[in-house]
Amino acid sequence: MLENLLPPLNSHNLPYPDTIHPIVVHFVIAMVLFAIVCDAIGFFNKNPRLLEVGWWNIFAATTWIFVAVIFGQIEAGLATPYPAVVSDLNLHTLIGWSLSAILAVITGWRYIIRLRTKDSLPVAYMGFNSFLLVIVLFQVYLGDKLVWVYGLHTEAVVEATRGGLL
Amino acid sequence: MVLSSLAPLLAAANGLPYRIPIHPNLVHLTLGLFILAIAFDIVAALYPLETPIFKFLAIPVQSSNLYDVGWFNLVAAAIITFFTVAAGFYEIILAEPPMDMVSPWGLGAMDTMIWHGVGGVVLLGLIVGMTIWRGFQRYVWREDRARQVQWSYLLAGLGIFVLMFAHGTLGAHLAADFGVHITADRLLREGLTPNAQLLNILIKH
Repeated sequence: MLENLLPPLNSHNLPYPDTIHPIVVHFVIAMVLFAIVCDAIGFFNKNPRLLEVGWWNIFAATTWIFVAVIFGQIEAGLATPYPAVVSDLNLHTLIGWSLSAILAVITGWRYIIRLRTKDSLPVAYMGFNSFLLVIVLFQVYLGDKLVWVYGLHTEAVVEATRGGLL
Repeated sequence: MVLSSLAPLLAAANGLPYRIPIHPNLVHLTLGLFILAIAFDIVAALYPLETPIFKFLAIPVQSSNLYDVGWFNLVAAAIITFFTVAAGFYEIILAEPPMDMVSPWGLGAMDTMIWHGVGGVVLLGLIVGMTIWRGFQRYVWREDRARQVQWSYLLAGLGIFVLMFAHGTLGAHLAADFGVHITADRLLREGLTPNAQLLNILIKH
């Protein structure tokens, strides 16, 4: 019933021209990585100004990750993954939802730190940042595989799937 | 499966000497950092209107800190973008797109690559120019002003967003329509099926 309300799917198997999730993740990836860089420089050089830049970046990343997850879920649902793709797509989905929670927690923690001791960060927070860095880089790698190895939502793969070749 | 017949593919299944293209990953940083830099400057410039919102959210804000985000994110974007463009040119030189099709914008592969290449250099110039402009506003012209950026600077930033959108769409066409450097698309064009075993062999070599 619902599919009748959507525009017909195009050659990328989407109801709109191009994938949106990879655009929205620009903001999450760039903001998380830059927040970690600013925190690290600010932490070691005791620069409160850069810590503020780190805070605003992680705050922005957290607002955007929810948009990224929603579009990711929609586009994963329309991806028609072939057998080779399934496990990576599932893992990317699981980590994506988890990251929205992880980012929300770290931003909440950072909010409290910022209210209490504005000009310094606890070592534990820097540890959490390192953990976040590893997960985000791995998540980017998985997303890269979905596009650049498996070719999800590319014309060739969609055509092959519709033709029953995949 | 006869592996020897796959030898040319095993060397570089995506047409690159590495498994994942580098340019699209650096693009995350260029776009993310630039767009958020302008966005934070806009938020900072309109700060007087937003005080009730930040008060409601119970977030203490100083507009000078918002301008810091606008400045440092922009500087990072300008530095990274040199590498984004360099990686882009390397990967465009190694591209082998199908020449018998057109993009949703009616452009062939060669035209799309040329426009995306030219656009990349133009955008690099604009981002660096904006960074220099921003630096003058921050440290020289408007050092003593409450509003660190000119309205014309913010307007120019919004104009560049439009250009970036068109430019990014050309890049998306190269990937999602022409399948440039996408392993599965290249296999399918060779008449092979990217099933799990074949992909594993190709990726691990």
